[in-house]
Amino acid sequence: MSHFQPSTAFEASDGELELLPFRFERLDGDQYLVSNLVGDMTFLSGPDLRRLAALDLAPDDALYALAFEKLLLRRKGQRAPLQLLAMRQRSRSSFLRTPTQLHILVVTLRCEHSCPYCQVSRRSTDRDRYDMSFETAARAVEVALSSPSPHIKLEFQGGEPLLNFDLIRAVVPFAREKAEAAGKTLDFVITSNLALLNDDVLAFCKTHDIVLSTSLDGPEDLHNRNRPRPGGDSHQLAVEGIRRAQATLGKERVGALMTTTEASLGRVEEIVDEYVRLGLDGIFLRPLSPYGFAVKTKQYAKYDSRLWLEFYERGLRYILRLNREGTYFPEFYATLLARRMLSDIPTGYVDLRSPAGIGLGALVYNYDGKVFASDEGRMLAEMGDRTFELGDLATDDYASIILSDKLIDLVGRSLTQCAPQCSSCAFEPHCGADPVYHHATQTDPVGIKPLSGFCARQKGIMTLLVDLLENSPEDAAVLRRWAA
Amino acid sequence: MEFAAASQSLGALREAAYRLIGQATCQIDSVDGVHRCRLQAARSGDADLRARFLDLVTDENLREKLAAETGPTRNLILALAFGALATAADASAG
Amino acid sequence: MKPLALSGRAIAVNAREGAPNHQVLRLVTPADPRVRGPQDAVLVKGGGSVPTGPPSGLVVQVGGEATLAEPGTICLGDEFDYLAAGDVIAVHADSRRVRTLYRRASRHNSFLTTERCNHYCLMCSQPPKNIDDRWLLDEIAAALPLVDPATRSFGLTGGEPLLQWERLVALLAQARDVLPNTAVHVLTNGRAFASPEIADAWAAIAHPDLSAGIPIYAAVDSIHDYVVQAEGAFDETVLGVLRLKERRQRVEIRVVLHSITAPRIVETATWLARNLPFVDHVALMGLENTGFAIANDALLWIDPIEYRASLARAVDILDAARVPTSIYNLPYCVLERPVWPFAAQSISDWKNAYLPQCDQCAAKRSCAGFFSTGRPKQSRAIEPLRTFDLTQA
Repeated sequence: MSHFQPSTAFEASDGELELLPFRFERLDGDQYLVSNLVGDMTFLSGPDLRRLAALDLAPDDALYALAFEKLLLRRKGQRAPLQLLAMRQRSRSSFLRTPTQLHILVVTLRCEHSCPYCQVSRRSTDRDRYDMSFETAARAVEVALSSPSPHIKLEFQGGEPLLNFDLIRAVVPFAREKAEAAGKTLDFVITSNLALLNDDVLAFCKTHDIVLSTSLDGPEDLHNRNRPRPGGDSHQLAVEGIRRAQATLGKERVGALMTTTEASLGRVEEIVDEYVRLGLDGIFLRPLSPYGFAVKTKQYAKYDSRLWLEFYERGLRYILRLNREGTYFPEFYATLLARRMLSDIPTGYVDLRSPAGIGLGALVYNYDGKVFASDEGRMLAEMGDRTFELGDLATDDYASIILSDKLIDLVGRSLTQCAPQCSSCAFEPHCGADPVYHHATQTDPVGIKPLSGFCARQKGIMTLLVDLLENSPEDAAVLRRWAA
Repeated sequence: MEFAAASQSLGALREAAYRLIGQATCQIDSVDGVHRCRLQAARSGDADLRARFLDLVTDENLREKLAAETGPTRNLILALAFGALATAADASAG
Repeated sequence: MKPLALSGRAIAVNAREGAPNHQVLRLVTPADPRVRGPQDAVLVKGGGSVPTGPPSGLVVQVGGEATLAEPGTICLGDEFDYLAAGDVIAVHADSRRVRTLYRRASRHNSFLTTERCNHYCLMCSQPPKNIDDRWLLDEIAAALPLVDPATRSFGLTGGEPLLQWERLVALLAQARDVLPNTAVHVLTNGRAFASPEIADAWAAIAHPDLSAGIPIYAAVDSIHDYVVQAEGAFDETVLGVLRLKERRQRVEIRVVLHSITAPRIVETATWLARNLPFVDHVALMGLENTGFAIANDALLWIDPIEYRASLARAVDILDAARVPTSIYNLPYCVLERPVWPFAAQSISDWKNAYLPQCDQCAAKRSCAGFFSTGRPKQSRAIEPLRTFDLTQA
């Protein structure tokens, strides 16, 4: 049909093309991971990357189609690619307009466990010294509610917060009343090992719609080894607590967090099985954090990020298999990152923000009234490093904390968009600044990224996820469901 | 290793050296139109350190070229996103 | 398989003296108690007796012998037997040309706004003509007040309706006023909306239920432009979608599947999920083998069974991104089971048909079936399903 033009009539001619900003990361064997301005990722071979960079594209070139779809190039004068990138970049940054939502109250430092990896707890019976007072808690609630956010999450932590349950019992109705007067909505979480859970606590949680978050490190022997307590029955108590809480509050109102230790490394399947067996709604395969007792007891140095990544990949692949076989059970870190890779809706996850989420995403009120930019910052202070201490409830209010020179300086230095090696990193759109981690490990909030365990883990997990999303359709379908 | 200053930017060499931190130290001297890089491996017997460094330099040269070529477009996009050009903000992103 | 005759020639038109050559008429029954206006004609089927002296003096007789010679009588053949009270037709007395504009009992009414287009799509089912057909919009304006206000929805098609955007906007404002409870779906290539002025005018209508159905055939400019045979189309269309969504207007993205677009359906869906996840609906559509699609058959034909797996993946990608998604124009037997719930009975009733073997199929009642238009071409995978249960899909 002569009145139809051939496909070649619509292909770009020489000199008509122009690159859009993109970044790349070298992988093994002359393979590259390429990401556009807003983090759409694809794999390219070395020759293809160099051909793309030189705009050396043949007509009817598969590389052209890929590059156009991934917003890596445009024809000169085209406006849609720029508008799409601008709109998406704006959406990705919109978390900046959401002020501090998470407020953590450390209601006591005391704990009946003596976990070697624990950051901060005290095995002490000295209530006066390590418990938060009602006056301090009330002041923390007032500061939290004066954050501009219309929705506030209050988390009770410890130590073991149930050792100071009387305070929680008093603060919750107080906070509800204040929130109502301020026209804000409130969510409550108690982070507890559940060893002290009783009907009284459960009834209170039920009445006040409180979520329970607990610790479960895996099967009994591993859990009890990681989490010693008098009687050696931590696992049994946690499992009983989870079951009772699930029965009373509902399965979706109970979550568990695991901590990885050297002893966990070879046992990821068993750990996952334990979570599935207990009907928990997913698992967060976490790295051991370099704070508090974890550093003092040399736990942190015992395995490096490479070993942890092997553990993570093995665990994730095992979990994906369970999902493919019909059990919906997400791994939460992969979910979080997949959500960032597959949509432009900001996740607000405090550790994966730039500027950093310290203070701006979360505030921590210690038992003694000291205010910290993050939970890890509080742990550092327990070790004598007060870098992330922002103020004191006795003298400060929300504005003086958030606008403190200290926080502004820390946040200002935390921009990955201009940090060495981050600024040219292909993963940067999905990553974040973790100034507390880098301060703790390198005494520098920016950190030298080639030496950073955080950086190595992030790159490793994200490369794995992009590989699954691009090259493994069944796993990609599972990841998409998690991220939905 | 030596690079002709006329064809090799110092910035890219520095970036490549930065990425080697932990694996090697790299001292860069620029004399008489030549950048001289002295690599010292962190572990002895690191045979392909030189090749790795050259790969990193190649990557950094490409990054430099891309940054120069796409910088104006990047600024235009950011202006569309956040600047005076960002009309009707967020309606479509919602 | 034969479509309904929506246009044809009257056996006889006995116009009254002084009557306009072109008339838009609503059909009413002889017993209809409603007040009849000058646009109402009494519908008489077969040899039924004609009531004497209807107020407008107009009679439309379908079937039977064309013996009625009274002035004001239009005699139609049996192919128009489907006409019923409440329907609207257009009649040209000189040429005896009759077109059905609206059928009250149908869920698939659409008005052709123009045959002119700035695209020349390889598979166009309504090949464009470069003619002056501005009277079509006048005709729709005359028809809208005759449409039953209880009508759920109607479509406006072309050609490219936005080529006369000012008149189209006026027509949509009229629809808003006379049919406030009727959804309007405009099939457009969306390029006009790249102009903020036109997007503003569209949004300013403030129609309670207006949407634009806009095709994006691939996320690669050269492929989309090739399919629509217009350079620069992709860029303007995407800009148009963005401008409409910035103004919170409803947008449906339509992807027609043929051998140029189907092989990239996963990539296209991925791109839509990443870049336009806020659109209101995505329709992934089987090809109607009519118009230019027949001429380009060798270029376009692909058995849907060939893209069955990638279509399922594409649907999953869009669904996981929470983009409301449908599959149009494809029968269940060529689709993977998990995407059955996304399949819609999308083919307009007047051209929707089923094959003889469909009588043995358990899914026939909810299946999209086939187009009866043009030169229907079937997948080799067509077969009756023994059992059909959407809840187990």
